[in-house]
Amino acid sequence: MAQVLVMPRQGNTVESCLLTAWRVEENEAVRPDQVVCEVETDKASFDVEAGTEGVLLKRLFAEGDDVPVLAPIAVIGMPGEDWRAAVSQGVGQVQDADAGGTPSGTGLPASLPVASDDRPGPEAGPERISPRARRLAEAEAVSTAALQGTGPEGRIIQRDVEAALRDRPPLTAAARGAVAAGASIPAQGTALGGRVGLADLAGPAAGPAPSQRESAPPAPGAPASGYVETPLKGIRRIIADRMRNSLATTAQLTFNGSAPAAQLLALRNRFKASDPQRGLAEVTIGDLVNYVVARVVPRFPELNAHLVDGSLKKFEQLNLGVAVDTPRGLLVPVIRNAGGLSLAALSVETKRLAAACIAGTVKAEELTGGTFTVSNLGALGVESFTPVLNAPEVGILGVSAIVPRPVLGPDGTVKIELRIGLSLTIDHQVIDGAPAGRILKAIADGIGDIDLLSWGR
Amino acid sequence: MSMHDAIVLGSGPGGYLAAERLAAAGRKVLLVEKGALGGCCLNVGCIPTKTLLACAKHYLSALGGGQFGVQVERVGIDWPAMQAWKREVVDKQRAGLEASEKRLGVEILPAEGRLLGPGRVEAGGELRQAGAVIVATGSSSVVPRIPGTQGNPKVVDSTGLLELAALPRSLCVIGGGVIGVELAGLFASLGVQVEVVELMDEIAPFMDRDQAALLRRAMKAVRFHLGCKVESVEGASVTYRAKDGVEQKIDADLVLIAVGRRPNVTGWGAAEAGLDVHAGAVVVDDRMRTNLPGVWAVGDVTGKSLLAHSAYRMAEVAVADILQSPASGPAPVSRMRYDAVPWVIYGNPEAAGVGLTEREAQARGIAIRKATVPLRAVARFAAEHGFSAPGAVKLIADAANDRILGVHMVGAYASELIWGAAVMLEQELRIADIKQVIFPHPTVCEAIREAAWEL
Repeated sequence: MAQVLVMPRQGNTVESCLLTAWRVEENEAVRPDQVVCEVETDKASFDVEAGTEGVLLKRLFAEGDDVPVLAPIAVIGMPGEDWRAAVSQGVGQVQDADAGGTPSGTGLPASLPVASDDRPGPEAGPERISPRARRLAEAEAVSTAALQGTGPEGRIIQRDVEAALRDRPPLTAAARGAVAAGASIPAQGTALGGRVGLADLAGPAAGPAPSQRESAPPAPGAPASGYVETPLKGIRRIIADRMRNSLATTAQLTFNGSAPAAQLLALRNRFKASDPQRGLAEVTIGDLVNYVVARVVPRFPELNAHLVDGSLKKFEQLNLGVAVDTPRGLLVPVIRNAGGLSLAALSVETKRLAAACIAGTVKAEELTGGTFTVSNLGALGVESFTPVLNAPEVGILGVSAIVPRPVLGPDGTVKIELRIGLSLTIDHQVIDGAPAGRILKAIADGIGDIDLLSWGR
Repeated sequence: MSMHDAIVLGSGPGGYLAAERLAAAGRKVLLVEKGALGGCCLNVGCIPTKTLLACAKHYLSALGGGQFGVQVERVGIDWPAMQAWKREVVDKQRAGLEASEKRLGVEILPAEGRLLGPGRVEAGGELRQAGAVIVATGSSSVVPRIPGTQGNPKVVDSTGLLELAALPRSLCVIGGGVIGVELAGLFASLGVQVEVVELMDEIAPFMDRDQAALLRRAMKAVRFHLGCKVESVEGASVTYRAKDGVEQKIDADLVLIAVGRRPNVTGWGAAEAGLDVHAGAVVVDDRMRTNLPGVWAVGDVTGKSLLAHSAYRMAEVAVADILQSPASGPAPVSRMRYDAVPWVIYGNPEAAGVGLTEREAQARGIAIRKATVPLRAVARFAAEHGFSAPGAVKLIADAANDRILGVHMVGAYASELIWGAAVMLEQELRIADIKQVIFPHPTVCEAIREAAWEL
């Protein structure tokens, strides 16, 4: 009896996953532990295993499709078996046992949409997009599968569709019809006023359109060779959308400062030499800075907040996002209730999350819910930078390298002091310059007097 | 030697509009014209014929007033007065054009110009240089090799016909294209006996076949001889061979030669300058660039679309290209497109169209849907022209995606409403889209809406 492999659920907030790569061809034999395909959620990627032995009878989605969780993605059975029967009956579902969530007892509705090979998969579920956004997207032939929502919990709202519309040339009426049917939109049109007309569309409306993002032809006039073109996909695409959206929708500006690093370095050296039983030997400069941030930021509620649709939501608890450089790009895992953790616990949790991000095993819920973010580039020798807000957060602290700087001592002589660079980006929509300066000073003071931090009020 | 930003050779619609647009953008422009400012269109083409046609329409309205309860007595034609009105309109238009060119700072040089090479022109006995040269030398009437037409005072072209001191009693028109049909209609309206001899089996070969036949039948006062080859002309007697091979003869007072126009590609240095001329026209790309750097060509001389409004658009495309500098960022899309150029025949009645005819769609292998609606189906047309007046709208749509491919119309107001159809084509509107467009009521253009619902 053929088995249906469904898109595993990745945490409670994930509605759909991007199918990034197939690892098994149709009619190829699979073992239960064999990886069938790779999928990506909001910010992490996962392997989906076959879970049963047999032959991959049918792939139900194309690479690049956004697939709702628990939707069938493939059928595995005996050679020659009819895959349609298995899908239509919705029986024998196989799920990745490691995926967490609710692996069993989820009945599959017989009416679940099944995409054919050459068509985009079903659009996101009803909760992933607002009704207004959906109406606009349908009227303007905007594919919502590739859209990154900026509404609550990543929901696609009207402005996301409008942003997508701004990013593409206008279409003629007939071209809209063809695009809705799957045609790709070129970067530039040659019809009236630069509109994209039918003649500009890559192929016939009914033709195969595996992925809009991949098949867009190069812009007219582009050289034919001498470069490598890589369409933005998966996490890169999400980062691109997030960053652009952040810069486009917030009024961010950065304040630069520095803090004396002598106590920071001294403490670090003591920890290093301490008894490993204390759990402090592995504490890094970054951990110490995060510890200070976790103590200072909650004192400024307007900084530990989200700005969504003109409304500021201040959080009591600090969930600290920590930027991690991974082979697939920037990930920001979140340390829950960072302000309530001891330095040792904070350090251990940070290392665990960073390792999970790099290995690609981080859970989707570990990548959401941040209220303030730290991005530390000190190890790379960066002396100052302008961190980009992780919207809808309203603040992010950039931490730079510790460098020697001349300072004027109380006695009027110039001394050389080791100082750590700090760059605080805030959203000026909600935080003014002077308060931002006070916040940066508080963080710098906390770092400079880190040896006293845990002892005072 | 004098320096300019741009030199324009020829002041017809393509030339004068290019000069205006460039001057408006702050460029120093020299407009070289050997004849009358405004070119053929303004002086001996579009404008004088439409003026005389207006006179003819007033005459016909007076004659037909009885049908609408208007009693008019002693209706007559004062040809010298009509000619005077024509001259007044043309002269005032030309004066207005000259004033607006000068106001924008365009220097008008009444002289013959000669292209020497990229950026170099000789005009008025002086070498002149410019970063951009626009060739807009227009076209001329084709003189066919028919025995007896050369040096025959009874044989005229359209320019000669419009200048007649007195109306002939009868006129034989050789050629049933736009100019032949328009002038046949005009003179027939003025009571002249008109016969048209056309080589092809139908008039106006670019028209949809159904519509061409409708237009021909609507011009009841004109006798058409189709599929007939003119053998010779003697005085004002035209001998032609009919389809059945039998030789026939038309005895008229005057013969009009109207077998078309061809681009003016000689006499101004094209060959010497090294300009690429192919099939009797200056070769241009979709930005109106020629093979020579810094030399653009617009209008009839390109042989692409011999229409004043095509020349206007070509001029704008060329100017956009000239004004585009690498520093000003990515090029806005300004390319010459020919698939939505509307055309008009100012006959009696008018005809107009845009896009593909049924036959062209077939030739391209496009499966179509089509619908034709007679104009009397809409109230305003019936009220103004009666219930038996000829006129129809024909819509052609792509069967695969419902996009409107062609709109064709015979009947009053066709010339004034066809631009809307051009927008439909440019915007690639589909049948369903047009059904959502609100047309004013009561109007003749409602027939387009009716036709969309018939599709």
